[in-house]
Amino acid sequence: MESVSSLLVGAMVAAFGVVGLFLVAHAADSEMLLFGVSLAGFAIAFDFNLIRRHFNTVDKAHAAEREATHV
Amino acid sequence: MFIRHEWFEKNALLLLIGSLLTISIGGIVEIVPLFTIETTVEHVEGMRPYSPLELRGRDIYVREGCYLCHSQQIRTLRDEVERYGHYSIAAESMYDHPFQWGSKRIGPDLARVGGKYSNDWHYAHLKNAQSLVPESLMPHYAFLEENPLQIDDIQERMRTLRTLGTPYTDDDIANAKADLLTQADPSADNAKLLARYPKAIEASGNGKVVTEADAVVAYLQMLGTLVNFADTNTERLRQ
Amino acid sequence: MSDTVLAARPVNYNDEVVKKFVIAAVFWAIIAFALGVYIATELAWPSFNLGLSFINFGRLRPVHTSAAVFAFGGSALIGTSLFVVQRTCHTRLWGGAALANFIFWGYQFFIVMAALSYVMGYSQGREYAEPEWHIDLWLTIVWVFYLLVFLGTLIKRNEPHIYVANWFYLAFIITIAVLHVVNNAALPISWYAAKSYGAYTGVQDALVQWWYGHNAVGFFLTAGFLGMMYYFIPKAAGRPVYSYRLSIVHFWTLIFMYIWAGPHHLHWTSLPDWTQTLGMAFSIMLWMPSWGGMINGLMTLSGAWDKLRTDPGLRFSVTAVGFYGMSTFEGPVMSVREVNALSHYTDWTIGHVHSGALGWVAFISFGALYYLVPVLWGRKALYSNRLASWHYWIATLGIVFYIVSMWVAGIMEGLMWRAYDKYGFLQYSFVESVIAIHPFMVIRMLGGVFFLIGGIIMAYNLRKTVTSPTTEQPRQGLGTPLGGFAVAGE
Repeated sequence: MESVSSLLVGAMVAAFGVVGLFLVAHAADSEMLLFGVSLAGFAIAFDFNLIRRHFNTVDKAHAAEREATHV
Repeated sequence: MFIRHEWFEKNALLLLIGSLLTISIGGIVEIVPLFTIETTVEHVEGMRPYSPLELRGRDIYVREGCYLCHSQQIRTLRDEVERYGHYSIAAESMYDHPFQWGSKRIGPDLARVGGKYSNDWHYAHLKNAQSLVPESLMPHYAFLEENPLQIDDIQERMRTLRTLGTPYTDDDIANAKADLLTQADPSADNAKLLARYPKAIEASGNGKVVTEADAVVAYLQMLGTLVNFADTNTERLRQ
Repeated sequence: MSDTVLAARPVNYNDEVVKKFVIAAVFWAIIAFALGVYIATELAWPSFNLGLSFINFGRLRPVHTSAAVFAFGGSALIGTSLFVVQRTCHTRLWGGAALANFIFWGYQFFIVMAALSYVMGYSQGREYAEPEWHIDLWLTIVWVFYLLVFLGTLIKRNEPHIYVANWFYLAFIITIAVLHVVNNAALPISWYAAKSYGAYTGVQDALVQWWYGHNAVGFFLTAGFLGMMYYFIPKAAGRPVYSYRLSIVHFWTLIFMYIWAGPHHLHWTSLPDWTQTLGMAFSIMLWMPSWGGMINGLMTLSGAWDKLRTDPGLRFSVTAVGFYGMSTFEGPVMSVREVNALSHYTDWTIGHVHSGALGWVAFISFGALYYLVPVLWGRKALYSNRLASWHYWIATLGIVFYIVSMWVAGIMEGLMWRAYDKYGFLQYSFVESVIAIHPFMVIRMLGGVFFLIGGIIMAYNLRKTVTSPTTEQPRQGLGTPLGGFAVAGE
């Protein structure tokens, strides 16, 4: 459940980030510019953290395995 | 009981649907008839969509939150009618996206402020309300006179409103920019503007750059002026 | 189910997302209260507007209302709902940690973007629905996922019955979705511009807005927080809810009747008479289910009233229910057309709003926060019961200052506007009423200052609860004093 959740949510947020970039490109006013930049920034920060958490979990699992099998 | 509450407590979807149905009833009963009962919005003479400059002024009024301190709805109460003029009728806000009736009076009601003060008074009041009314709580809106009005999207705005039901003609939209500039310039010939938008008031612009203050003043000066109450048969106003 | 059976199958609850919302709720509370104090200052001395566009009253007021209702209230609601649904369903949150995190960060993103947009001069001009179309769309996305996560958790529950708190939370979530989508129906002028026009106009728009606005109060600020009440009062008191039957009657009649009350915001206007009358009738009837809830909440304390002396968090919750009763009596009174003729447009309305917002909403949230923080962070108790008591008394004083000053100001305004002199002319000009209420603007601002100080005390106390060595759990191996499982029925 967790990895499916991370993948789907991560992909969705990445898509939002791309939408943000389009908004920045064609923004007709300062608010849309800010919103687009913020959306893109949010997507980058959120997905970065998803990836970081994933690898932290993997690392912890490996460390636990090593502990268990180590003499 | 033919309905057992247990059914809702043991089935989340049933609980959801039951709640959804329950909360839908009131809204449907109260809101739908307002669209179907014809007498809800009275048939009166004089109402017209906002001119381009007035529309921009209204959009500024909306974005600045003016409705938070100023109402635009005179109630059917004797003292209110005496203070502000004829009570507001539904037809007067029929082209208002969104309605701006307001819910608090930190400042007076503006439903019929049109024509009560001179343009100069409005420009001065927007810039520094306390210079005219020392005890006023209104902030200073001097930045409105400093900000040039964004004009390029006026046709987009009017087309969007037309899609939503405002009866702008092709002529209105084609001449939007010209009408806007004309209405902001007291020295311009406004015959065509008045043909499209009767009772439109000229703002006291400088003739060079249209400012946001010009738009707001044009809007304020027509509020409550369109319907001639002296002229109207009361039968047609009754709901 | 006995504790020993429950203890046999511990659940790995997702408390991380709850902790985030709790921290956010405390943070936004301080911001919301501080903003309230500032705009109150602007109304007492308008020079505080400083001639600046981005902090003047017109632009800042929605920042305050959004911060109070959506940022503070919303974070408290979503956080507690995700805690309560897991505990009462005895199952971990559906959807995975990533989705839960998206709901949290997505919601915070909505809050920040909305606030920035208002000060930059973008607003739809609808109370409590000011954000423009793009921010509305974003909120809709976040909200749909919130509904899915909550509903998903209910469906995968390990308890046969859905506990009453969840009925209220679910009704809150689904109704807000409907209200939000219908009220914000709009067409942007361009996909790249932060400007749209609403789908409705004039009198129809007025009713759609106040169908929404009143039910933002009824479902966001009432039903949702009743959900909070139905969990945290029995929990803190160690007593079951007073009456199961009353819960059922109260729930269905409340959610049915609240929806109709919108027109009482539009008395004497050009809204048709029949609609006004319907709104008034239902608003008056609404007094009954509301007091049903109040009775159920208060009577749950039966046999545990002495806890009010020793548990300051519970004191907040119970006082909240008292203010709830007061506000849900005042509301129907103000919905009567003749009363409304005096009260509409005056500060009495503001007083009524704040007795509900400060007395009910904030206080029940404080009660929940004081209970939750030690539990979530595995601390043995609050850092200081004395500080929580100080918070309680200072905040209550603040509320009294606020509502009394607004009652006086409001009734004074209403009476002055309708006063005639002996010659039959209106006695007062509008500005004379503005001058007359000045002292009460100052007193109200002071009330807000007290409430803010109380909030700051709470934030300090909660932070110390989490970090201080004095609240560390003695080595037990289990998360909380009762091993994570409750006394009153889960």
